[in-house]
Amino acid sequence: MKLISVKPSISADKCIGCGICSKVCPAATIAIKDKKAIVDEEFCRGCGACEQRCPVYAIAMVKLEKPYTVAVNVEDVPYEKIKELCKTAHMHPEQIICYCTATRAEEVAAAVLTGAKTPEEISRRTGIRMGCKVECIQPILRILKAAGIDPERPDGYQWYGITPTLWDISPEIKEKYKTSGFYFDEDIKILEKVIKAKGSRGDR
Amino acid sequence: MRKPIIPTAAKISQYGIHPDLLTKRMAEYPEMTSVMVKELFPDAPEVIYPSAAGDGLDLIKKAAIAALQNVDMSMIKPGHSVNVLASHHGFTLLGGQPYATFLKVVRDEIESKTGATDIRLRAGNGLRFRETEEYIKQYGLNVHFKGKARCIAPIDEGIPIKTEIGTLYGLKSVYDADWIVHAHNSDVREVHFHRHVDRAVKPFGMSYARIETRSTYHQNLGPRGANFTARSIFESEFVKSKFAFTAFLDMAPSGVVGVVAANDLFELNDYLTFVGLNYYGKIMTLLGEIDECIVGLDFPCPVPYVFAAGVIYANMVGANVDLFDLDGDLPPYTWYTEAFYGKNGKPLIDDIAPVNPAVKMVIHNYAWGGYPSAFFSEQIPTIVVKKEQAELFDNDPQNLEYTKHAVISESLDNAMQFAYKTANTDKVLIFDGAIGGLNLSHSLLQLLQAKAPAVSKRVDEELMPKWLRQRGISPLGVKRQ
Repeated sequence: MKLISVKPSISADKCIGCGICSKVCPAATIAIKDKKAIVDEEFCRGCGACEQRCPVYAIAMVKLEKPYTVAVNVEDVPYEKIKELCKTAHMHPEQIICYCTATRAEEVAAAVLTGAKTPEEISRRTGIRMGCKVECIQPILRILKAAGIDPERPDGYQWYGITPTLWDISPEIKEKYKTSGFYFDEDIKILEKVIKAKGSRGDR
Repeated sequence: MRKPIIPTAAKISQYGIHPDLLTKRMAEYPEMTSVMVKELFPDAPEVIYPSAAGDGLDLIKKAAIAALQNVDMSMIKPGHSVNVLASHHGFTLLGGQPYATFLKVVRDEIESKTGATDIRLRAGNGLRFRETEEYIKQYGLNVHFKGKARCIAPIDEGIPIKTEIGTLYGLKSVYDADWIVHAHNSDVREVHFHRHVDRAVKPFGMSYARIETRSTYHQNLGPRGANFTARSIFESEFVKSKFAFTAFLDMAPSGVVGVVAANDLFELNDYLTFVGLNYYGKIMTLLGEIDECIVGLDFPCPVPYVFAAGVIYANMVGANVDLFDLDGDLPPYTWYTEAFYGKNGKPLIDDIAPVNPAVKMVIHNYAWGGYPSAFFSEQIPTIVVKKEQAELFDNDPQNLEYTKHAVISESLDNAMQFAYKTANTDKVLIFDGAIGGLNLSHSLLQLLQAKAPAVSKRVDEELMPKWLRQRGISPLGVKRQ
């Protein structure tokens, strides 16, 4: 769940139509028309990536008159399915995967189970990736992969691809670096413990 | 009673309130005093900045020139391009001038020794994508780099890098030169994340990396395996083919010790790990001895990064455990830890230590947004001074929940009175970037002075050998720089 309280305001006078804003928008809501940036306000989630990277300072974030929230209701999906999907992705359903919006794995799993097929769709529905824009892309891609979905990369720089997890580290690498302070197996142990933990619903 | 040290000045930034709104600093209260790190630990290293003679920046210039004499730059030919890679954190150390000065010398020495003139600055950011843009302007770096200084952000155009664990992603503009030079600093900073493993290598996984790589670090590889992200990128054939040398501003809690440089990053990494544990181990362990206190945030930086005696607030939040001890699974605060709190507000597993119970209350007198900080106000009673500061956080996409867990005070005076009454302690520790020491209440000073000798002995005799053993470092094998 995320509160949407701001939106970008683009100065047409300053905009040079370079397209960088559209390349960095995690919800893919900006298009360039007639050499000017146009925001699709219905799906903008107010993250400010466009404002932060505009090279000519043509964008300002302004307060919305009526802030609103976006969320996917976890109750709309059988929780066993959510648990199974999260477990395949090596996550606990209640694990937070976006620190800015406190979005938990269960909400992203519910978004995927109710039809979201790309990180952009998941962002639009849950508001995830709309805080720092940095830390939560991999858990999203991991949950999509666990659901058997290989999303097509959008245009621009939004995201490039899924990366390795702790469970992908080979025995050779573990052996090679075992005396250098990398505690791979011990970390797997603690993460597995989290995955199996009892949640607030009381079930394991 | 020693007077408080002058805190780091407020800065004009889009990430903080305007300095004019900061009408009073916590160090101004009559019950506050200060202590130098050297007074607590007489064996603390000698520093060149700050300097009693006031020539600290000149000493940094001389140290940088001397350190770079021992570096082989012969691979860089006239006509080659060079990217000097920097990170935003360096600019928050001791007011920022030392790091800016160091970067300027690195540039000039490359030109002077190689004849290359196409030398660019690529300054990485954390989660505030224009922060180094502000520093580049403030310290005249674009002029010094002849119009070739650029602020780079993790959402900028990427480049795939094949590593031994799979493909990770760097920032294209970091690698768009013939050579790269890694110019960083050695303060231990967010030791709760990296646990002081591969400190010198870490920026390759963070400051110079795309979101996919940073997300790998913080979500995919575990609380202690995470640093392998940086090592795997640095050890890739692609990065090795571009790497020329590295130089570090060598930091201690008391100031700048000197400048070190090498062609072999891992040689320097071992040295910096050794001295980092040595320099910072004592002050961090001492902070863990505090039984109760009110913490003041009063520094131009996001909440977790505000400084006292070289240690950041986030590390104080975890000072109830030994953050350098790798046998501990999860520190009380990292994003892995934060992730493992369930919907009922309780940890999902019982292995998670609570945040430092000694921190009874936090007064947020001055700190920036631009880093997800709701965990701190949710876990520790927090007073935010002035509505402008609260509004700043309420409009920050990373901190929409921060003030929901805090109370707002109209003045610092009111906040202090409330904190003294409610927290029921007169011990105050201020994270305000006081140079060379820390500002604190007289009552807390007495506690630290009493505890410091035993802490020093324990670190020397018990903790240092363990910390080094866990990282595979022999003190005899560390090459002095």
